[in-house]
Amino acid sequence: MGIILTYLIPILASTVSMSTPLIFASVGGAFSVRSGVMALGLESMMMCGAFGAVLGSYYSGSFVVGLLCGMLGGMLIGLFHAVLCVRYKVNQVISGIGLNLLATAITTLLMQIVWGNKGTSEMVDSIDTSIGGPIPIISEQSFNFFVMIAVVVIGWIVLFKTRYGLRLRMVGENPRAASSMGLRVHALKYSGVIICGILAGYGGAFLSLDQLNMFVRDMTAGRGYIAVAINILGRYNPLYIVPCALLFGFCDAVQIYLQGQGVPSQLIQMLPYLATLLVLAFGVRHIQAPAGVGKHEDD
Amino acid sequence: MKKKNDVQRENRLSRLDGAPLSIISLLISIVISAVILAVSGYNPFEAYSAIIAGAFGSLRGIAQTLTQATPLIFTGLAFTLAKKANLINLGVEGQLYMGALGAAIVGTVDLHLPMVIHLPLAILGGLILGALFGALIGFLKVKFGSNEVVAGVMLNTIATLFVSYLLNGPMLAEGSSVAQTERVVESARLPRIFQSYQLTIAIIIAVIACILVRWFINRTTLGYEIRCVGLNPKAAETAGISIGKVLILSMCISGAIAGMAGASHVLGVDRRLIDGFSSGYGFNGIAVSALAAENPVGVIFAGLVFGVLKAGAMELNRSTGIPTEFVDVIQSMVVIFVSAPLLVKGMLHIKNNYSGKKAAKVAKEA
Amino acid sequence: MNAVEMHGIVKQYPLVRALDNVNFEVEKGEIHSILGENGAGKSTLMNVLYGMTTCDEGEILIDGKKVSIKHPSQAIALGIGMVHQHFMLTPVMTVTENIIVGSEPVKGPFVDYKTASKKVAEMIEEYHFGIDANARVQTLSVGQQQRVEILKALYRGANILILDEPTAVLTPQEVEELFVVLRDLKAAGKSIIIITHKLKETQEIADRVSVLRAGVMIDSGLPVKGCSINDLALMMVGRKVDLSFTRHRDDPGDVAFEVKDLNLTIQGVPVLKDLALKVRKGQILGIAGIEGNGQTELIEVLTGLRKPDSMTLLKDGEPLSGNAARFLSAGVGHIPEDRLKRGLVTPLSIEDNIILGYHKLNKFANRGIRKAGAIHSFAEEKVEEFKVKTPNVLEKCSSLSGGNQQKVIIARVFSQDPDVLIAAQPTRGVDVGAQEFIHSRLLDLRDQGKAIILISADLDEVRRLSDRVAVIYDGRIVAESNHDEWDEMELGLLMTGGKEGGGESA
Repeated sequence: MGIILTYLIPILASTVSMSTPLIFASVGGAFSVRSGVMALGLESMMMCGAFGAVLGSYYSGSFVVGLLCGMLGGMLIGLFHAVLCVRYKVNQVISGIGLNLLATAITTLLMQIVWGNKGTSEMVDSIDTSIGGPIPIISEQSFNFFVMIAVVVIGWIVLFKTRYGLRLRMVGENPRAASSMGLRVHALKYSGVIICGILAGYGGAFLSLDQLNMFVRDMTAGRGYIAVAINILGRYNPLYIVPCALLFGFCDAVQIYLQGQGVPSQLIQMLPYLATLLVLAFGVRHIQAPAGVGKHEDD
Repeated sequence: MKKKNDVQRENRLSRLDGAPLSIISLLISIVISAVILAVSGYNPFEAYSAIIAGAFGSLRGIAQTLTQATPLIFTGLAFTLAKKANLINLGVEGQLYMGALGAAIVGTVDLHLPMVIHLPLAILGGLILGALFGALIGFLKVKFGSNEVVAGVMLNTIATLFVSYLLNGPMLAEGSSVAQTERVVESARLPRIFQSYQLTIAIIIAVIACILVRWFINRTTLGYEIRCVGLNPKAAETAGISIGKVLILSMCISGAIAGMAGASHVLGVDRRLIDGFSSGYGFNGIAVSALAAENPVGVIFAGLVFGVLKAGAMELNRSTGIPTEFVDVIQSMVVIFVSAPLLVKGMLHIKNNYSGKKAAKVAKEA
Repeated sequence: MNAVEMHGIVKQYPLVRALDNVNFEVEKGEIHSILGENGAGKSTLMNVLYGMTTCDEGEILIDGKKVSIKHPSQAIALGIGMVHQHFMLTPVMTVTENIIVGSEPVKGPFVDYKTASKKVAEMIEEYHFGIDANARVQTLSVGQQQRVEILKALYRGANILILDEPTAVLTPQEVEELFVVLRDLKAAGKSIIIITHKLKETQEIADRVSVLRAGVMIDSGLPVKGCSINDLALMMVGRKVDLSFTRHRDDPGDVAFEVKDLNLTIQGVPVLKDLALKVRKGQILGIAGIEGNGQTELIEVLTGLRKPDSMTLLKDGEPLSGNAARFLSAGVGHIPEDRLKRGLVTPLSIEDNIILGYHKLNKFANRGIRKAGAIHSFAEEKVEEFKVKTPNVLEKCSSLSGGNQQKVIIARVFSQDPDVLIAAQPTRGVDVGAQEFIHSRLLDLRDQGKAIILISADLDEVRRLSDRVAVIYDGRIVAESNHDEWDEMELGLLMTGGKEGGGESA
């Protein structure tokens, strides 16, 4: 019993905290994929979210403004991705990768211009109060825990119960059919990708303002790509995404816990990435993306 | 008949691709990053003229440009070759690290062999590890249907961490405070072209590799099969081509070329394997390939263009403190613009319309 | 008053003028057939009317009022509905979801699925469509899916209904049922436009007919009564064609290709069941059947693309097994059913495509290095021989018309002298000229003593070319007989499993 309290609870608390940004990004990814646009750009949306959040908090001195700026940063990338993929019919994979490269380059460049430092930003106002209360694990989370739950539940309802969700899914399954039924295919796709950007941006902001209090070079470190894998594994459904994300969060938590326990740190750090690789190899074989991903209404 | 020809020509003009698209995309990217520099308080004209001066102004500058271009050509070529099979090899960075590791393993041991044997062996070590790491992605895709982009990114991190682990432990040079191996022995070093600069004959190998890959793609049956699989896998399958074999082989060759990038750096530039030596060469390769319009020989020129920018920017950073990252910004924008011919055309169109309107206005006034 | 009037419609694509000053009128409550060959511009004209494409010039009047239709939503609002040739359905969603999307009943912020499916069920009842409103579309037959498409239009209150090649995928029985539905709708005052290239059907169902050829309206609003099939064919094609020519052979040689005990299960579902067939030298075996009864999988098995659970396959009495490469080298030629999907690598040149699958032969490659000169001259020779219309062999296949693309495939397969040919939908979507050419080539090949298995959804084609006809239904060959044994209706019954066939072995 004592062992559980000393080891398991901190690890589980850390699991939830590490999963939260992944859940934000993956739920966003679900909106994007359900509208027929691949979500490989999640990394850039998170990155710009994390950076925008710190920038906003730095200039305003308030993490609330920071969070809003984080969402704005992710949204801008989402908008850019949508313009490229929907309006200009760019290959969605290339667009996503191009944006990921752009986000890394721009944030590093801006970091030097704003803070004159290549590696880290200055410390900014961040979220440092936890919920507290009697329930272990959750008591250590910030209010973002509730935001995350809300995003998952509302995301699921919107996708599967509302008129907008039905239309969005129809566009993602068969854009030609959707168009022939009079749906505004472009507008719906834009909305899906922009929602994705906002949520992924919030996930990024969580990294920089909730887990830390600054921006670090290459802050997302492949988490956007892990979120892509979670999104697939969760069948583009917010409810299924949660357990999948917790699995990865757990790997991350164990990794952090094992640091400084005598095992070479580099090998332990591989854990979440190896887990992703294994999931890609064995977990996603028969999962079908919506049939209309990558298709346009006029081809 | 003449009418039809006219229509065809018009059609060809309206389609924007190949070299013109690449050049226009590069120019647009340079202009946009100039604007970013200007907004950030730097003088873009000074910056760019300093870059050109830095890259071409002296023998040292030219040598530095070519040294920077070498890994870019290799990684650009690696990305291009995989793209022919419609694979996005985002794992080039990891393959590059493994290639560097392979070269370092063979190159740092004194085998008492003459250079003509030891150097090729060391290069081979890099090629093999790179190829295996590339083939692994291909295998995951063929066997399990894994998304090669995500798998590539995961393997990048894994490779980087693995090499870092080795450099901090088993392979750490004696008495070194930095995570790095022993020096590569004399017999395994790539010969330098000028004694005092880091430029080695790797640049020549890179150029030859590009020409070889072009020949391979166009003139061999395997190259033909790669193109068929890349453009229409179902039709290739119907024609009796084994898709799995072709995909894995493509990733294998792509990985070997990426491994060569790492090997050339270890055996030529640093002459030892240093933790975190790559400044994202693997990702730069994507931009090189895009600028080259996925043409293997075009990779040479695209590699040189970015080599100039990179070498010049390093010079610039030393003198004025402008962050070198703005070159990465240019690169990533090239990737986006080259993939978006409609967008580029739209941008040019706006300009045309504008000047058209202006001309009409002038005519009206007259 | 006319329900639809289109005046001076022009649509220019980069290389072709798809519609050239087309005038077209539909009266209220009539069934109007638009007749024309593939590529004549029928679908483009209707896409303009439905707002899927916009025209460069011309005006549209609905119920006498000038309208602008730039998007299907505007067409829908004007009471126009369209049933597309390739159904616009989402297989993973239910019938109800497919029908209501775009005009969903809502309760608060949520879709009111209960009301929706009740309303859809009522409509199904009203038109006697016999489908389950809550079934997923992927579980429905093709004919049922078409009814879902019609319901989609009716649900939106369509008064003008456009049907694009509605009978292409239906059996003769289903066609009859569709015509009953259409007559009911006409009686209810709907105006119906049918796009088709089938003359007989036009005669049977339409009141008036308009004929399009190469983007030009040849004749518009002709009463069908008093038009002979020959008149219509002449207008449609622009010259006299005789698609009834044929020559059968009743003196086949030895068995060239024999399949026994073919069983195939895909994801637990049996697709091919104890299937057996054989074809002799100098014989065309036609396989008739409704799409989706195992033809695609049968083709894949017979060309080495798919491994069956069990099968004995004998070619010239010798067992044959292995992958596609093995089948090709054993002399089993393959004309794929979908040329764009499996037949061609369209971004590559004609010369690259004309050797596809045979690229490793000694005449085209030596130790893995391609013989560029030999490939080039081979391609030039074959393009000439098979009358592929192209400026040169370096042209990309994507720039060719459907008929010429198909000729490239025919040239590729025929010039390697296969002993057995699996010909799937050899003339699907090609113009009449190419169709004639391909048919006569197939008959020539048969006369050279080759064995041909012809799988086609076009019943006329099967009947005309085959020496023997086998009917596939639900993964089984349910009947087999000589070509002249059954008439069209009998074949239709067999194809729907409505009648067990007799059939004796040849």
